[in-house]
Amino acid sequence: MYLYPVAYSAWVSVYEWDLATPARYVGLQNYRALWSAEFGEVVANTVWYSVGVVVLSQALGLALALALNNRTRLGALFQASIFSSYVVSWVAVSLLWIWLLDPQYGLVTYVLRLVGLPSVNWLGDHRIALWSLVLVTVWKTVGYPLVIYLAGLQAIPGDLLEAAALDGAGSWQRFRHITWPLLAPTSLFLLITLTVASFQGFDIVRIMTQGGPVTATMIYVYYIYEQAFQYFKLGKASAAVVIFFALIVGLTFLQWLLFRRRLHYTA
Amino acid sequence: MRRALALLLIAGLLGAAGPAVAQGPIVAQFWYSFGGKNREVTEAHIKKFNESQSKYRIEGTFQGDYFQALAKIRAAAATKTAPAVFHVIGEAMPQLWQAGLFENLEPYAKGANGTNLEDFLPGQTQHTYFDYLGKPPAPLFALPFFRSTPILYYNAEMLQAKGVKVPTTWDELHDVAGKLTVREGSDVKVYGFEVPIDWWFWYAMLHEAGGSLLTADGKKAAFREKGAEALQFWVDLVNKDKTMKRPPGKDYNAWEVTNTDFLNQRVAMIYTSTAFLNYMTENAKFKFGTAFLPGKAKQAVPTGGTFFVIARDAPAPQKEAGWAFIKWMTDPAQTISLSKATGYMPIRTSAVNSPEMQDFYKQNPNYKTAIDQLRTAQRFPFSPGLIEIQREVIQPNLEAAVLGIKTSAEIMQAAEAKANEILGKQ
Repeated sequence: MYLYPVAYSAWVSVYEWDLATPARYVGLQNYRALWSAEFGEVVANTVWYSVGVVVLSQALGLALALALNNRTRLGALFQASIFSSYVVSWVAVSLLWIWLLDPQYGLVTYVLRLVGLPSVNWLGDHRIALWSLVLVTVWKTVGYPLVIYLAGLQAIPGDLLEAAALDGAGSWQRFRHITWPLLAPTSLFLLITLTVASFQGFDIVRIMTQGGPVTATMIYVYYIYEQAFQYFKLGKASAAVVIFFALIVGLTFLQWLLFRRRLHYTA
Repeated sequence: MRRALALLLIAGLLGAAGPAVAQGPIVAQFWYSFGGKNREVTEAHIKKFNESQSKYRIEGTFQGDYFQALAKIRAAAATKTAPAVFHVIGEAMPQLWQAGLFENLEPYAKGANGTNLEDFLPGQTQHTYFDYLGKPPAPLFALPFFRSTPILYYNAEMLQAKGVKVPTTWDELHDVAGKLTVREGSDVKVYGFEVPIDWWFWYAMLHEAGGSLLTADGKKAAFREKGAEALQFWVDLVNKDKTMKRPPGKDYNAWEVTNTDFLNQRVAMIYTSTAFLNYMTENAKFKFGTAFLPGKAKQAVPTGGTFFVIARDAPAPQKEAGWAFIKWMTDPAQTISLSKATGYMPIRTSAVNSPEMQDFYKQNPNYKTAIDQLRTAQRFPFSPGLIEIQREVIQPNLEAAVLGIKTSAEIMQAAEAKANEILGKQ
């Protein structure tokens, strides 16, 4: 049952089908059609988007977790407010940021002008747009690594850190040699989940840029959507789905291998 | 005792329900694509139709913008669950007609419950929308619903303040846009001009420049030179003169930005559809006017909006209900009220000439621009490849020129080659 959609996609991927006229068997032609500069750009966009999101949100999540790892009320307030954006729908967040990033009258533009910086066409400049989406995604999702890292930090025995402090280890040394290694399983878990989630990015593109300007923010899932439901190339879209499925399975397997070795090491 | 009573009750209910179903109206589905205000107008008319008679009942469903609705229609057609009536943009019709999705409407139009086809306004009908490329015309399969053309909207107060006249040619548009642009240091406070980087407006300018999409026989694409000239006009305004704003976003997202900028007085002149006239009139806090699109070698506009069609696969009674609805919606009384409530054009000659409409035009001259401009309307080639050329070949690539990623000539050269590939497959 679970595999049915994938199997169906694989079947459709060898046909030319526009939903209106009868499907025509074309063999591997759809896969050959994907072997193009356009598709290469889509893959590159997806990888850059994913790397940006994973690295930034994980680093920021860890930094925030270290800063907020206390049981004060203020800490709890910060944690809750940062996590709240993670719970809000993508549509709401995307609409909010379209307004904030407007190059003529957005709040961000206003603040930049106030401090004497030139305004930036965040979503309209094809060299910047993808990174604007990365930033918005990080803003929205950072609550997730924050919470997971907090849980990880609280699992680290306090006496280890105390003993190190007594032996004269500075805060960087304590982080480097105790906290970071003990957080490794947490980091790997986040790496897998964030990578898979960012590869599946769609809503933000659909609302904020529709893949544009031109193809600057065309990431994988949006590309599939566009081929299928804008251009009605069901076969080509399905071929992209099959490749995507293989890619995600491969990626997960790779990370699982790493994860297994890591667990072995700590145990 | 209880059980007997229950049985009796059930029997009674069945007895009551049985004949009621048989006598009830024939229900047919209608899918439409108008959001916001126009959705209310559409729903109000559906309600009025249902109340005007008891034989048929139409149930309307909003299905997103034109392209979202198109996707749903095709998905529904593939599973044989398409609604009896829907409406589609003209460019998509040749392909869907060829795929056999549409019912031939000629027997309906000329039948007992027919309509006066003579009264439909030239420029608004299927046969004046399409150029059949020297081949015999397809049968009638579509009646006009909401029909539009692009027009120039201008902020009358800004033009007056700078003492400039409404532009009628590309050169004048270029000059006037320069005079209306207000700068503050390196920032632009008010742009002179804004238009969505979109197929529809490009198509107008392609023809204004004296070009056409395909050769007269429809076998080859022929837009390379004039299409590049049209595109380059925007590129220069945006990048060289910096008097035109390129609205961000694709498809209707860019249209929304353009309209909003105009209403917020961030831009002095825009191209958009006459369909937004009511919206603009209700929301503008300043005096604005509408005019023909400025011309180059000639004046030219495409028409737009949508046509009613009936699904060929729908059951016969539903098709009959659908036809009754279409006939009613395209009657002069309805086309007048639809037009006045939206800004779309009336589609019947008798409606345009009616005292009611003539009176309305006198009081609201902005509404008359589109109907007058119809005399410059250009046809679309009746080619199954048309929608693919629009959606895949032209539309997504125009922006690259304005962004400076590729030159207008490069884009049009590649587009023409791709278009020929599509035409070769037909």
